[in-house]
This record gives sequence, structure tokens and C-alpha cells, in this order.
Amino acid sequence: MQTPLLFVLLLPSLSVPVVYVLGKKSAKIAAAALVLVSLVSLSLLLMVMPTVLSQGEYVESYYWIPMLGSSFTLFVDGISLSMAIVTLVLIVAATIFSVNYMEEKTSLPEYYALLGFLTIGLVGVFITSNLLLFYFCWELMLIPTYFIIGGWGYRESYKAAFKFFIFTHAGAVFVLLGIGAVYMLTGTLDMFQARDLLATVSPDVLKWVLTSFTVGFAVKMAIVPAHMWLPDAHAEAPAPMSALLSAVIIEAGAYAVLRISLGTVYPSMAAVGGREFLYVLSIFGVLSAFYGAFTALAETDIKRIIAYSSISHMGYALFALSLFPFPEGVVGVVLHLVNHAASKGLFFLTAGSVMKQTETRNIDEMGGLASKMPLTAVSSAAAAFSIGGIPPFACFMSEFIIFIGAFTASGADSFYYLPSILMLVATVFSLAYVLRYFWKVFLEVPKSKIVKKAPLLMKISMVLLTVFVLVLGVWPRPFIDLISSVAFK
Amino acid sequence: MLNILDVLMPTIVFTVCAILTLPLLRFVRRRKLNPQLFMVVWIFISFAAASVSVLHIATEYYAQPQPFLNISSVGESMLPLSSSFLVDAVSVYMAMAYLVVGLASCLYGVLYVKSNEPLSERYYALILMVTGTVMAATFSGDLLTLFIFWEATAAGSCFLVVYRKTRKSLEASLKYLVMIIIASGFIVYGLSMVYGLTGSLNFWTAREALMTAENKQLLVIAFAFITAGYAIETAIVPFHMWLPDAYTAAPSSSSAFLSALVDQGSYYILMRVLIYILTPPAIVNWPFALAIFSALTMTVGNLFALAQNNVKRMISYVCVADIGYNLVAITSVTSLGIMANLFFFLVAAMETALSFMATGILNDRGLETLEDLSGIGRKMPMTSLAFVIAALSFAGVPPLAGFVAKYMVFTSAIESNVAWLAVIGVLNTVLQSAYFLRLIHYLYAKTPKNSIEAKEPRKLLVPIYLLVIAIVLLGIYPALALNLIYPAAGQINPLIP
Repeated sequence: MQTPLLFVLLLPSLSVPVVYVLGKKSAKIAAAALVLVSLVSLSLLLMVMPTVLSQGEYVESYYWIPMLGSSFTLFVDGISLSMAIVTLVLIVAATIFSVNYMEEKTSLPEYYALLGFLTIGLVGVFITSNLLLFYFCWELMLIPTYFIIGGWGYRESYKAAFKFFIFTHAGAVFVLLGIGAVYMLTGTLDMFQARDLLATVSPDVLKWVLTSFTVGFAVKMAIVPAHMWLPDAHAEAPAPMSALLSAVIIEAGAYAVLRISLGTVYPSMAAVGGREFLYVLSIFGVLSAFYGAFTALAETDIKRIIAYSSISHMGYALFALSLFPFPEGVVGVVLHLVNHAASKGLFFLTAGSVMKQTETRNIDEMGGLASKMPLTAVSSAAAAFSIGGIPPFACFMSEFIIFIGAFTASGADSFYYLPSILMLVATVFSLAYVLRYFWKVFLEVPKSKIVKKAPLLMKISMVLLTVFVLVLGVWPRPFIDLISSVAFK
Repeated sequence: MLNILDVLMPTIVFTVCAILTLPLLRFVRRRKLNPQLFMVVWIFISFAAASVSVLHIATEYYAQPQPFLNISSVGESMLPLSSSFLVDAVSVYMAMAYLVVGLASCLYGVLYVKSNEPLSERYYALILMVTGTVMAATFSGDLLTLFIFWEATAAGSCFLVVYRKTRKSLEASLKYLVMIIIASGFIVYGLSMVYGLTGSLNFWTAREALMTAENKQLLVIAFAFITAGYAIETAIVPFHMWLPDAYTAAPSSSSAFLSALVDQGSYYILMRVLIYILTPPAIVNWPFALAIFSALTMTVGNLFALAQNNVKRMISYVCVADIGYNLVAITSVTSLGIMANLFFFLVAAMETALSFMATGILNDRGLETLEDLSGIGRKMPMTSLAFVIAALSFAGVPPLAGFVAKYMVFTSAIESNVAWLAVIGVLNTVLQSAYFLRLIHYLYAKTPKNSIEAKEPRKLLVPIYLLVIAIVLLGIYPALALNLIYPAAGQINPLIP
């Protein structure tokens, strides 16, 4: 096939009406169609992998809006390819999980159609180098996410969805402002051309552009103090949506900081001293890491614990992003995003499975579930220990690389000593909340008797992701190679 | 070569069709045929004929090299008293845009106003007539022709507002009429001064006079009167009071039609007068003053919309807020600003028309306030979906056209160094998405209170979905419209010193 990347976006777009019509007959067939589409997209991405490894990037460009300096440029390099691959793996797992998880709910054709619609945005943000197309996909996530959280969520789900929409949309309009400014200053919307052309622009102007972009992305990343939307949205969403929210949507924010704030705008400021910007990132990173970890320790709602742990982990990512000039920082952050996506996705799915089987969401009412649901317990252990940073699980590896970067940075710039040490302390707390979670849910003396059996497809999707997390932990080599193939200066 | 008859042809087509509507409809009724079906066919016929004549103008215009084509009753010369017409990329684009939104809103009007209502044939005739006068105003090349056709439009609009003769609509149209009369007083006073000082009312002659005059104070004052007059008709805050009243009291089909054609058309006039005649900074440096009005209009419109409980009134205030966004684009006197303005015009016309159309269907079922809409999303999925699409497009969410329009507007503000205005605009967008999301919240999240009969009118959904498709299409592939706008953007550059 000559145009693999175009089809990666085109297939989910075309699948939306098909899935809807199939869903009217049987929700299972709709889910199967969606899984098939995602698998085809995934294999298309794997097809371009050799090109990316040998040449560093792969680009397709189509006619779109030349009057606004915009072409439909699809672009992958090692970083975006890693993110896109893990996104599609998660979509597959979440779709399979949905079949059993959602079977008692109504309006399933709409649900699967929205999930297909969401796929376009989720994958699209990672595979373009055009700022306008990036924004297009970035905002495309809003509508399906809003309706999935609202329509199929728990308790006051529409309120949570409302919060999600307003917060992230408010952040996004600042991104739009930044994009407009870049277009005005350079006359192009291509990230890489813009990076070169911005070198001549005065840093006083760039300062504002950089702030505008980063504030917008930070809202999506749910960095403290813009995190208020996240716990509600994650906790009230149906489990597959929580998995996608936590694993992909907030990580798109981290990816965007790396790609646009740091990759496009920052290089032109670095020459005249933009260090303070990195310092600010690192401070907010530490703040989020601690806030998330502490709150997760205090929560008793099974999903809110995991939601706060996402805030904490985005803190790690932001801290790692502040090590931008050091290659370990970049490799570490992208690998951490991949690992966190897989582990957090799995974590939410297992939590969903526990909720479904015990019909409660308060961890004080659980306990001793390990013997009653061994498979869920094993999967949950893999996810939890990875999130807690225990070797040999996935996140340990990336946190290790981040800390290597942090101490290299401390050697070069004494500012980084304090944040690096604080981040090390934060890992202890994340270990604490993870162990508390696992103890209370699976090990302690049993409190509730009703435990239903986990349906087959839920098990399959959990096993799929567990294997993925374990492989990432012991053999992260392919992703490290992929990420290192990007020539970051 | 175009002559005056070619340029007037769209107006003539609409006027003739409008006049023929009355006897033909009487004939159809006497023969016991279906009057509604006849009107739908008749609307299509008149729009098809008008489209042919507009396409003729467009092809002739693009076949010759001149950017601005002046056509008057005495050939190409610009005699002071001859009524003249101007064909350029802007007016050609505007005419085409009117045809698209006009077709959808006329179709809706015909299906919405039942043909057995009294005076319905006059209503049908008038929407065609007003479409014709708006077309003529678009092509007019001197201030007097513009004034005449625009006042004809306003007079027709008053009838459309008052059509059902309820207490509220009588009051609202009286308010509207008074404002129009005050506005036209201002405009006529300004026109008489311009004519006395320059001996002509032609756009280009006036521009020349302003450029060369040694003492241009008096002329600037004259144009201040003209601009103020049109500002009242455009409903810029603080002259906006009449608009929410009029649009709320009018039947929804009229509101959709007026917001799509008349309201949006008045920006075009403001743009013509401000950018093409009073070009800053060569003649008068007005952008800063307008920027303040623009910020005020956006903020006031959105805040009032946020406070409304009546859905139709909320949409009316959104119209006011939209005027603010459009002024942002006018404030930036650049080629990007022109593009943004023209694209925003089309998108806003479709969005407001679409939301008024959806509101019309809901109002017919007695659903007027936000609480009434509770849970309607599940009872009337198609209407609600259309409303949601309009709302999300207002909020600037891709893949809908509102997103491209907002992006262009803000970028043009940044380009002309009024970044603060762009920031205010962005904050306003957040405000806008908040109350539109509240609307969506009511539609889908709340449980319905009482059991209302909620059957969707299939026929009315046709014009509605025409606009939905257009909004989605322009959002994914805005080049469709931008290709037509692009030449206009190039033409503005030689005018700006």
C-alpha cells in the first residue's frame, strides 16, 4: 500500500457509520469490526516501522488548506510511532473489554460508533507534523469523550463530562492562540519549518507563545493546579474510557509539550536563555507528583486512587520533560509515556473488572479477592507494581532512565539537584499507594461475599495488556531503539 | 462584458418570482393542488434561476483582468448621479454565500409557515423579495444604491418579524423600526454631507476625495454618521437592544432567515464602508476604536446569552456575540482579516440559521426554556443532533466549520498586533462553550419532566440537514469556500498603503 498513514486515519473515519449500522444488529459484531479496524491500522503502522528506523521519519503530504499555510501532512518518527502503536494496542484492549463490560447498558451502537470516532483523534494527534491538523485531532477527542463519559458513566457522569470538556477546551483555545501566533510569525504551520523560522523571532514574543502553548497542554496533562477535571472524569467514566483517558488523552498533552513547546518553540529561546522555563516545568512536575501520590494514599474509591496516580505520573513526565536538553530525558519521558499508557490502561481495566464483579467501588469493602479472582489479581499486580516502579515491571525501566537523566542534568546544572531528590522521594509514596491498593483489594481479610465470575472477553483483554506490560518491562529494547532513532539535537 | 442588467439579474429574478408567487399560489389553491409542494418547487426554481445569473456574473468577472469592476447605467464611467454597481471578488463570493444559506432558510420558511395560515403567501413572497434586495445591496457600487436596497431589506425584515402579529412581535418590530429609522436618519445625513462635499456618492470617488482633500475633517464626520447608522443596523453593543427582542419575537423561520441573510449582510456593509472607503491608516485610523467595540460586543453578547433561560433568546444573544467576532476580523485590515471575515460570515450565518431552525421545531412543541428541553435528546434525536452540531460549531470544536472560522479570526487579530483582542476572544469562546454545553447537558443528561408528544417533522429536517452537512464539510475541507475568498484577500493589498 502506498499511503499507509492516510489509511490509519481514513479507516476509523469510514468505520464510524459501518460500526453504527452493525451495532444495530449486534453489539458484538460492532466491537469485532472496531477491533479489526484498529488491528489493520496497527499493522499499517508496523509497516512503516522499518522506514522510520532506517531514515528517522516517514512523511505523507496531501492538499488541504494552502491558503492558511496548511497541508494534510502525516508524519511519524520514532517518538510518534511509539505513541501511536501503544494507543492502538490500548484501543484494541478497551474495545474487547467493552463487549462484556457494557453488555447491560443501552444504546450500544452509539457507544461503539463514538469509540470509532474517538480513534481518529487519538491516533491523529500523534501522526501529524502540521499544527492545524494536530489541533484538529486534538479537539476531535472532545466530542466522543464527552458523550461516552456522560452517556455511559456512573453517578453524575454528565457533570464530570462537562468539567472535562470545559477545562480541556479552555486549555485548547490557548493552544489555538499559540498556533495562530506561530503562523503569523513564520507563515508556516509545519512544526519543523516553524522551528527553523522561529530562530529569528525576538525572545520577548516567543516567551508568550511558549506560555500559551504550554498552559494549554498542561491542562490536558492535568498538571496541578489545572488537574480538577481529571479525578471526576476518570472516576465516573466507564472503565474502558477511563483506560483511554488516562493512558492516551492526558499523555497526548505530555507528547504535545515535547513536540511543540519544547521541540518547536523552545529551541529558538534556548540560545538566549530559556532555562527558567525548564525550571518552572520541573517545579510543577514535582508538585503534581507529590499531590497525586498523597491524594491517592488518602482515597478509598478504587477508581479515584488510580486517577490521582495519573496526576502523579504526569508529574513525572513533566519533570522528565524539563530535562529536555539531555537525551536521557527525552528517551526516558517517551518510554515512560509508553509504559505508563500500557500499565495505567491495564490498571483501569482491572479496576473495572473488580467493580463489575463485586458491585462496589469502595476499597474498604473489598479484600481477599486474590483467591476469588486470580486472573484479575495477577493482572492487577502487574499493573500496580509497574505503576509503583518495582522492577522488573514496565515503569521501573523508564523511571530508571529518567533518573539517570536527572542526575546527569544535576551535574551540569545545580538547579536539578533538589527536584531530582524530591522525585526520588515521590517514588516511595507511589510505591506506598500501590501497595495499599493491592493489600486492601486483593489480600486483606474478605469483607464482601458476592463475587461474580469475570466474563471471558474481559479476561482476554486483561491478559493481552498484562503480557504487553511484562514484555515492556523485560524487553524495552524495540521501543528504546525506536525512540533513539529520532535525532534530537 | 457585464452590463447593468447582468448585475441586477439575480435581484430581478427574485423580484419577479416573488411577485408571481401570489397569483400562482392562488391558482394552485383553486385547483386543489398541494400548495406546500408547489412552494418548494417554486423556491428551487427561483434559486436555480438566480444561481445561473450569479454564475454568469462570476464567470464574466473572472474572465477579465480588472479586480474592481464598476458598472453603471451609463457604461463604465462614473457619473455623479448614475446608480452604479461594483463587482469584485468579495461581492461575487457574498452573492454565492447568500444563495446557499438563503436556499436553506427559504426552504425552511416555506415548510415552517403552514400554507393554510393567513397571509402565508405574502410571507413566501417577501422572503424571496428580501433575498433579492440583499443581493442588490451586495453588488451596489455607490452609497446611495446601497442605502436604498438596504432600507428595502430592513423594511421587509420588519414584516417578517411581525408576521404572526402577537403582542410581543408587534412591540419588537416597533422597536426594530424605530432603530432603523434613527439609523437611516444618520446615514442620510452623512450621505448628504458627502454628496455636498465631493459631488458624488460613488465608493471610489468618495475614497479619492478623502485621500486628496486638504481639509478632510468634515468628510470624516460625514462618514462617522454613516458608520454609526450602519453600526445601529448591525446591532453593535450598545446599539444591540433591538436584536434579541426582534429575533425572539419573530417566528423561528424569520429569525433563521434574518440572522442568516440580513444580520450577516450588515457586516458586509460595515466592511465595505470601513475597509474599502475609510482605509486605515491612510484616511482615518479607526481600528483601535472598533477593537474596543468588538471586545464589548463579544463580552456583552456572551454574558447575556449565559444568563438566558429561554433558548431562542439565548441564540439571539449569540447573534450579538457573533457580531463581536466579526468585528475582530474587520479590525484587522489585512488580507487574512478579509479572509477571516468572509469565512466567518458564511459559517456564522449557517450556525445561527441552524440553531434558530432547531429552536423553531422545539418551540412548536411548546419547548421554550432550558428546563423544557430536559431529555429531549433521546426523544427527538435528529433535531437534537442538529442543534448540538450548531452549538459545538459555535464553541469552535473540530471537525466543524466554526473551528476554522475562529482560528482565522484570532490569527488575524494577532497579525494586526491586537493580541489582547485575540485573548479576549479566546476567553469569550470558553464562555460560549460553557453555555452551549449547558444546553447539551439539558438535552441529554436530564430526565424528561412530562410526557410530551415529540414526533420529528421529517420535512423540516431536510433544510436543517442541508446546513449540517455544509458545516461539517466546511470544517473538514474549508478550502471549498476559501478558494473563492482567496482572490478577495489579494485585492485588498493595493488599497492599504
